[in-house]
Amino acid sequence: MCAGDSDAYAHLVDRHARIAVRTAALLGAGAEAEDVVQEAFVKAYAALGGLRPGAPFRPWFLRIVANETRNLHRAAGRRAARERRAWERAEPLLLGSTDAPERSALDADRRADLVRGLGLLSDAHRQVVTCRYLLDLDEAETAAVLGWPRGTVKSRLHRALKHLRADLEGR
Amino acid sequence: MNVNDQFARDLRTLGRTVTVSPTPDLTQQVLDRGSALATPTPSRIQRWTAGVAATAARWRRRAVVALVAVLIALLATPPVRAAVFDWFGFAGVRVEQGPDLGDDAPPPPEVDDALTLGEAAELVGFAPLVPAELGDPDAVEVSDDRVLVSLGWSTSSGTLRLDQFDGRLDFTLAKTSPGVVYAAVGPVDALWFDRPHSVVVLDQEGNPREESARLAGHTLIWPVGDLTMRLEGDVSLERAVEIAESATPYDE
Repeated sequence: MCAGDSDAYAHLVDRHARIAVRTAALLGAGAEAEDVVQEAFVKAYAALGGLRPGAPFRPWFLRIVANETRNLHRAAGRRAARERRAWERAEPLLLGSTDAPERSALDADRRADLVRGLGLLSDAHRQVVTCRYLLDLDEAETAAVLGWPRGTVKSRLHRALKHLRADLEGR
Repeated sequence: MNVNDQFARDLRTLGRTVTVSPTPDLTQQVLDRGSALATPTPSRIQRWTAGVAATAARWRRRAVVALVAVLIALLATPPVRAAVFDWFGFAGVRVEQGPDLGDDAPPPPEVDDALTLGEAAELVGFAPLVPAELGDPDAVEVSDDRVLVSLGWSTSSGTLRLDQFDGRLDFTLAKTSPGVVYAAVGPVDALWFDRPHSVVVLDQEGNPREESARLAGHTLIWPVGDLTMRLEGDVSLERAVEIAESATPYDE
């Protein structure tokens, strides 16, 4: 990395580190989010040549973060076990941070209900809700991160919300 | 509000309560590792040479970082300050070193009482944030190009103005200022301008739109997700941060 490159890349890292760490943490890296993100930034640097000129860096990079997060659980064996491990790491982050400034906007019961509902969703549905709402990515970014067509993002999101509603209001 | 919107809003709020953030060392760690990776490794001797070169580069960079850290700490000379400003930007905000413009700045421009928050949200495509500390705004306005939402409050210390826009858009506010203070809104970095400074909107080619140029006083800038927030008015830094930390998406 020559000096000019490293300055430019430092900009990119500074600018995207925050959303990257949040993405990794909520997609299942938990406390290892920063390690995952560091790995992703190093890989992204080596792969920068593959980014179409003029294409936005963020969705392309978040896809790498999502893949690295998945790799973290590769050793966990069967798919169901991997997915469970990912949620076990994300769940406490959603339940635990009651001292955040937004606490007043969401009461404790509603928070607990939402987190419980998320836990009942299928992995695909939980991932689309995580990207689109918890991380507040737009539809195109969500599609890039999950590697799905945009139509799939839309329909799965729709179904995920339906399930969530049924689970929370059907009691 | 329909039920799905309610869910979407609550889920976004839930997401924002997750406070994981990168450590300050991350960038340097990535750069250190990137320099090792970028070295080609075709033969053992070349690998060894590259290893030595990478180590040397790392030490050199550390020396540079240490030097820059000292210079930042001093913040004495204008060129260094300019470099720091350039390095520290927000989506849609560019800060440059500029002349001292004296002690007095006019109050922020009045906000037209043109819209409700709901109407503004529809025009710009995001829910404007309202600080609980200030309560409902007295006036809500959206720029002609539907990029910027401005909320206004009349308070005992004059007009307070809160501008907000999506930092991913091709829209840039340029500020030239003699100085800036680094602050924090919750866990997020923020910039505080306590001296009068000039603000101008840049067009898509990065040229200043002259008609937009004006002088601004106390201003706090901070990001909330993809939004960039800008609070202007006759308040202290402490009060500005208090207001900023109380901002949540408005509720119909």
